[in-house]
Order: sequence, then C-alpha cells, then structure tokens
Amino acid sequence: MADLLSILFSFQPDAPELKSNLEYDRQVRNFLSTLAQVPPNAFIKGADTGQDLLEILNPTVNTIAYLYALLYRIQSYGDHPKSIKSIPDGFRPQGPLWRKLVEFLETFDPVQVRYVGGDWRRVVEYAERVARVVGMPGVAIAPIRSAMIRLDPSTGTFTSTHLLFIRLCLEARAYVAALPILDNYIHSLPSHIPRAVQEQESSLPCADLTNSSDYVTTRSGHTEKITISDVQEYYLLGAMAYLGVRKYKQALHFLEHILVSPAANIASGFMLEAYKKWILVTYLVDGAVLAIPRTANPSAIKQVRAASKAYEALADAFKNMEHRKLHAQVDVGAPIWAEDGNHGLVKELVDHSQRVYVSNLQRTYSAIPVLDVANMLNQTPDQAEAYLQSLIDGRYLNARIGRIASPTEVAVLRFFPDLTQGPLAKTEKQQYIELMEQTERTNLLAEQVKAADYRLSLTKEYLEHLRRQNRKSTPNNAGGEAMDMTWDDGVDQEEDIMADDEPRR
Amino acid sequence: MATNVEQSPFFTERKVLNQVIVKDPPKFDLESYISNYEGRTRLDRLALIGSTSTYLAIDAFRMAIIEVKKGKDTSAYLKMVECLHNILPDDPMGIPDLSWVEQKNRQVKQETERLEHELKAYKNNLIKESIRMGNEDLGQHYYATGDLSNASKAYFRMREHCTSAKHLADMTLRLVFVSIAQKSWMVAQSHLIKVEAQALKGEEKTKLEPIVSACLGLSHMCCNQYRDAAEAFLQTSPAFLSADPAAGIRFQKEVLTGNDVAVYGGLCALASMNRSELQELVLANNDFRNFLELEPHIRRAISLFCGSKYSACLEVLEAYRTDYLLDVHLAPCVREIYGQIRSKSIVQYFIPFSCVTLEEMAKKFQMTGEGMSIEEELIYMINTGVLDARIDLVERLLVSPPTNPRHVAHSSALAMAEKYDHTLRLRLLRLNMLNAALEVRVPKSDGGGLGTSMMGGEIISASLRRLGQMGGF
Repeated sequence: MADLLSILFSFQPDAPELKSNLEYDRQVRNFLSTLAQVPPNAFIKGADTGQDLLEILNPTVNTIAYLYALLYRIQSYGDHPKSIKSIPDGFRPQGPLWRKLVEFLETFDPVQVRYVGGDWRRVVEYAERVARVVGMPGVAIAPIRSAMIRLDPSTGTFTSTHLLFIRLCLEARAYVAALPILDNYIHSLPSHIPRAVQEQESSLPCADLTNSSDYVTTRSGHTEKITISDVQEYYLLGAMAYLGVRKYKQALHFLEHILVSPAANIASGFMLEAYKKWILVTYLVDGAVLAIPRTANPSAIKQVRAASKAYEALADAFKNMEHRKLHAQVDVGAPIWAEDGNHGLVKELVDHSQRVYVSNLQRTYSAIPVLDVANMLNQTPDQAEAYLQSLIDGRYLNARIGRIASPTEVAVLRFFPDLTQGPLAKTEKQQYIELMEQTERTNLLAEQVKAADYRLSLTKEYLEHLRRQNRKSTPNNAGGEAMDMTWDDGVDQEEDIMADDEPRR
Repeated sequence: MATNVEQSPFFTERKVLNQVIVKDPPKFDLESYISNYEGRTRLDRLALIGSTSTYLAIDAFRMAIIEVKKGKDTSAYLKMVECLHNILPDDPMGIPDLSWVEQKNRQVKQETERLEHELKAYKNNLIKESIRMGNEDLGQHYYATGDLSNASKAYFRMREHCTSAKHLADMTLRLVFVSIAQKSWMVAQSHLIKVEAQALKGEEKTKLEPIVSACLGLSHMCCNQYRDAAEAFLQTSPAFLSADPAAGIRFQKEVLTGNDVAVYGGLCALASMNRSELQELVLANNDFRNFLELEPHIRRAISLFCGSKYSACLEVLEAYRTDYLLDVHLAPCVREIYGQIRSKSIVQYFIPFSCVTLEEMAKKFQMTGEGMSIEEELIYMINTGVLDARIDLVERLLVSPPTNPRHVAHSSALAMAEKYDHTLRLRLLRLNMLNAALEVRVPKSDGGGLGTSMMGGEIISASLRRLGQMGGF
C-alpha cells in the first residue's frame, strides 16, 4: 500500500523542477508507464475503508492517479451496465461514489488530462451510461458539461462527447442547459497531427496551447472516431435545442451547417430533416426565404428539395400571406408534420404569419385604430387589443397602444417611427457595444481560421502538392537557363514569363 | 341612336368580356384624323375606333368598309362587315358583297400563282437581283392581302440575295414594317437594331435614323418599356416629318405621324422621367420641340409637371384620355402610363412635406373613377414601395418617415458583419470536414447500403418524432 502511494504521489505537477515543458512531458510519460505496471488489484484493495484511494488523493492535484483509481473501481463493477441492477448503490446518483465521480469531473487538472484522453473519456461515458440506465438523463448533464469545459474552455474541437452531451440534453429536455456548449462555435474537428510536430517543445500537450485542436486529436483518445453523421446529428439536435428555447436564428445557422456538409452528390437523412426544418425556420427568422448557402452541394440539395415539396408549398402560402391557403395546407399536411416531428414548428409558423402581418402594418401606417386592426384580423376589438399588447410585450412590435378621447374613446395602435424610439430602441451606445463584440468575435474567428490553415498545411496531401509544385517549377527554370545560350533575346523573354507563371498556378 | 349603338349585340359582348368601351366623344374629328394615315394602319385605326367608341362606331366602320373594298384583303372585309352588322343590323353596308369577295379571292389566287411561278423561273436562272425582286413582289402581294406571316417569310428570303448595303437595309425595314403590323414588338426591335448596326454611308444613314428611332420608340412603348421608349422618341430628328419614303414605305403616314411621336414621346417621358430630366431632355430639346408644337397640350402638361402644378397637369391629360384610348398603339397602355404619371405626381408632391392631411391629398388629386379612394391608392403605393411614407389613420394624415442615417449605418454594418461571420463559419466547418475526410457518400453495397441509410433516417425521424411530441417541437 505504501509502495503504491509513493508511486502515486511520485508525480507532483507543481514541483519546481517541472517548470520546463520538456521536463514535464518526460515526467508524465514516465509516470504513466510506471502506473501501467501496477496490478489493478492494488488500486481497489483499500476500497470503502479509511485507506480508500479516492479519499486520499486530491483530484485537482493528483488527477492522473485519481483517474486510474476511479477507473479501476468502475471496472471492478463492470463498466457497461445493462440494467439498473448492475450499477452498485455507490455509483447511483446521490451515492458516495457518484459524488466522487462528479467531483472529479468538475475539478480535474486540465493539463494532466491531456495525456490520458482515453481514460478520461471512459469515465465521462460511464457517467452518461449510468444516467441513462437509471432513467435520469438530466443528472449527468452538468458534470459532463463541466468536464468538457475544463478540458477545452472553448469546447470548439468536436468530440464524441459533444454528441453524447446534446443527446442527454434533448432527452432530459434541458435545452437551456445545452446552450453554454452550443453557443461555442465548432472551430475544428480532431485531426491527425504528425508525431514529429507534437514533439516540438511548443507543441507538447502540456504546453500553453491556445487552440484545443492541438491536444484533442485523433490519437489523444479524447474522442472516438468522428463520422460525418456524428457531426450532422450534433448540429441537428443542437438546432432542435435552440428551437426549444425559441432562438430561431441560431437554430437556422445550425441547420445550415448540416446543409453545407461535403457530399458526393448525395444527401443523407440528416440533411433531409435539416432542410425541412430549415424552410420553416427561415420564415420564422426573417419572414422571407433565404438563399441556401452557396457552398452546399447542388445535387444533394436538389434531392432533399424533391422530398420536401409539402414544406415548400407551406412556405409559399406563408410568403404570399394567403392565410386561408396556409391553414388549408396545414390541415392537409397534418400527418406529414406529425410524421416528421415538425408539428410544433408548423404551428409556430401559423402563429408567426399573423405576427408578420401585423408587423408589416408598420411599413404602411404610423397610427391605426385598434378597431381597424381587429377587422383585418377578424377579431373583436378587445381580443385584438390584448393580442397587440402581447406582441408588444413579446418584443415583436415596436409600438404602443394609446387612447384618444374625441369624440368617443378609442384605442389606437401607434408605431414608433424608427428604432431610436420605443421599447425595441437601441441607443448608440448599445450599438457600439454590439459592434465591439462583433469585432472581437471576428478576430477570434480569424485566429481559428489561421489554426485550421496550419492544420491543413500539416497534411500529407498538402505536402504532396507542394512537392509536385516544386518539381514542376525547377526543371522549367533549368530549361529556361539552358535555352539562354541558344535562343535569341526576344524568345528568351517569353520563356522567362512562362517560367514565372508556373509556380503561381 | 347612341344608346342603340351601346346596346347593340357587338358592344354588349365587349362589355361581357370586360373590354374597354369609350362612350364620350373624342376631341378629334374622325375625317381629318384618319386622313393623316395611309395603308394598313388606316384600317387598323378605324377598326379600333369602331370597336371601342360607341360614338364613332358606325362612321368608323363605314369608312373602313369603303377603304377595305379598294384593296384585296377579303378576310378583313368580311370581319368589318360583320362588326357593322352587329352594331346596326339594318345598315345596307352590313350585308357582305359576296360576289366581290369571290372575284377578289380568285384574282388574289391567280396573282399569287403568277408571282410564285415567276420567282421559280428567276431561281432557275440564278440571277440574284431578279430573285430578290421576285421575293419582294411576293412579300408586297401577301402584305396587301393581309397574309402577314407569309409576307414576312417572303421578305426574309430576300436576305441571301441582297448584294448591297442598301438592299439589306431596305429588306430589314420591310421586315420592321410587317412586324409592326403584326404587333410583334420584340421582332420589330431586333430588326431595328439590325438596321442600326448596318454600316450605311452618311446620307443614307441620316435618312434612316429618324425612322429607326421613331419605330424603336414605338416598339419599346408597346412592350411597356417607357423609359427606353421616351429616350428613343426624344432622339427622333424633325427630319422624320418630311422624310422621303424608305424602302417604298412612307413611315410617317403608314406607321406613325409626327403628332403620334409627340404624344407617345411626351407621355412616355412624363411616365418615366423626373422633373429635371423632363426640363433638360424634353422641354429644352430643340429637335423634339418641333414635334411638341404639333401637340401643344402635351407640351403644356409637361411644363405644368415641371412647375409642380400636378393637379393641373393631370387635368390636362385626363381631358385627352378618350382620344388616347382610341389610338391603336396607345390604347393598351394608356391606363398604365396615366397611373405612373399620377403616382409620380403624388410622390413628387409629397417630397417637400413632412405631413399632409388625406383630405388635402384627395382635393389635389381628383379621383379618376377607377374605384379606389385616395386612401386605398396611397396604401397601395406605399405597399409597392413607390411612396416612402406612412399613414396615420387616426389623425388622417400622410406622414413622411423620419430618417436616421447614423443609426441605419450602424445597424447595417452590424447585420453585414454578422452575415459575413456566419458565412465564414460555414466555410470553416466545411473545410474542417474536408480535411478530416468526412463526406456524405453513396453507401457501398447497393441494396443493403441504401437500407442502412434509409434506416438511419428512420431512426432519426423516430427519435425526432418523440422529441417533437414532448417539447412541442
């Protein structure tokens, strides 16, 4: 036991001799190979006694050791529980071991975990599995979210954990809980970084890396192998979470991410689902259909469009403000909407069509008696007034309802002439702040683009391309020089121009 | 008598079909009006007046029948006679002269055969000039008998036998002439452009230019392209009035007169140009002044518009509405042109004000009797984006919206930044996916593969369905 403890404590991340990244890296790797030789039984020997390793070790400092202890404990009960019976009491939510697990996920040291990605992932997946088996998907959401954020504060490198997380959120209908992760843009996918690059001092996993794609890679073990349907499913489920909290614009953006997926002239089921929702959501966002992003594969889009005629018909009726047609379409297509799980969205569209109609009134009128609006909407004046008030309160209308006395008292809807007045007004200061925020986001994005560019420049294909380019230009230059001797000046100049052009292509 | 005409079967039918009927007497005198025209357009114009104006119907058709009997177009004759019969059943001219028709038909047939025979002979002799002339004769013959499509075919066959630029120009002008008679304006336009493109020598060019621009204006107007039409008409030089016949056609008699150029050009300019343009390009245009002198009221209307006296301008135009509805080329677009002038007047009128009462607007712009109140008209104009204003239905005001360019600039900058940001994000993800070799592919094994992808879809839609039921989404 004492031996074991001395081994476990042999790695101290704060030790002064570990200042240099190279030294840190070497120590961690040595520590890991030592740990691999310790028999598993040693870790669980003192379980549930005073000598329990989970009590002795501090998850923040001795993260790797704690992780091993936790993992061997989980393995001793079987880490693929099929039913609620195969989960020991301790690991059920609110049990002592579950609390240990949560504590670990919330407090581990992010740098040490970069070295033990596979083991870290097994702990996270176990938490997810337990939550699912006991039928309380909600309990794992917060721990997994903190684990993801601790590992990668930007959560911008896509991992299989992202997908597990969003599935849990949707099952628990915890849409708001999903937002902190969803709001972070996925700026990279785990890629293959050559060993030689990773062994440079500035690129070691323990180095002060700004971009998480440098340590979450295909070989680091933090993620399973990612397939295109994983990415598409993440975005589709994410879009649904956004719809759940009525953030239509973000939902729209998520759906577009699916539509632009690279495709060999064929669409996937996710793209079809995404397109159906996309049509409806564009109208909820802008009241008008937007163009499909240009990078989308045209023949894939053609296929999904052919399969979404019902939705396009609905959108047409909405666009032309034909309320009766819209309602008829909604009724006729009811089985389709129910089949696709878009019933709620269609209903929202119908409600929205009236809102857009009222909102468009402000393009024509500056003030209009509520009675007239009531006639247009086929409602009683009281109903109309309540409806208008609800729109104003819901921030759909920049207007107010006033009353005038002459000759009889009537309610009047007054629109504010522009966005400098009224409840939706933005002051210049607010605008300025928004602009600044946008600038910051853009700058961050520019960094991420640079990182992606760097990753691309490490791929074999790019190197191959470079080599070919070089090969092409060298003999030509040489040829040009050789011809110098024999050809006269005029022709030679032409040849030179050609040689210059070559590498630029 | 007028009431009789109005209730005649002919006009009742037009009413049912919702076609234009003009009941007021026009300002012009039919005799002197029609004496300005020659050839087919004379017939066309009489037929239009006859079938539109209840006041002139009988006179117009009688004149048309006398006219048509001089020529060899029997089908037009029969049609006119039928129309007259429908209007005035006991008029002796309403009974077709069948023996004449038969005799004419025979003559026409013989003539056609003779001309075709001659053409065949020319073709055998391979003399280009003769073949060209043979085709020309045939074309003219078809034109006279009213077979316009064959006429244009015959003229078209002249092309490969033309030996000089003049021949080519003549042929194209003939094609223009036929297509105007056919009212196929796009064809006329393309032929006109060909005439323009031909490199003719100085004198020939100056001779043809006025004709080309007048015809181009006409075809643009009939295609509802008023701005282009106005520009073409305004370029027409006064030489048009006294031009010699080109290709044997007197355009200023057989297509449109100088008066027509003034009216069409003036109205198109009013409908499509703003005040300073009208002043500069129309009133100060020395060439066009010659035309405007022929129609002083058009000149007055334009001056009034430039002087911001919109209601007076509209009144002048309104007084001539009847006349223009009886013009063969103007009739289909009078309503649109007038509508555009009217809405332009309203827009121009409103510019200096920040708010105007609706009563004042109604007083300034008398209703045209098209069944819309000033309020509806204004709403329509705002909704179509013609007029930038808002209506205050409570105080009954037309209010001009305040502008805040600084705020707008900020918002649009923000919106644009967001859009670019989003586009870049989409592209970056796509690039990442390509880098990671992620791509939607056709499943490998055919039957089973499709099944799995479909099954994938099934699973997704099942889970989505469940979620949709739960969350309302």
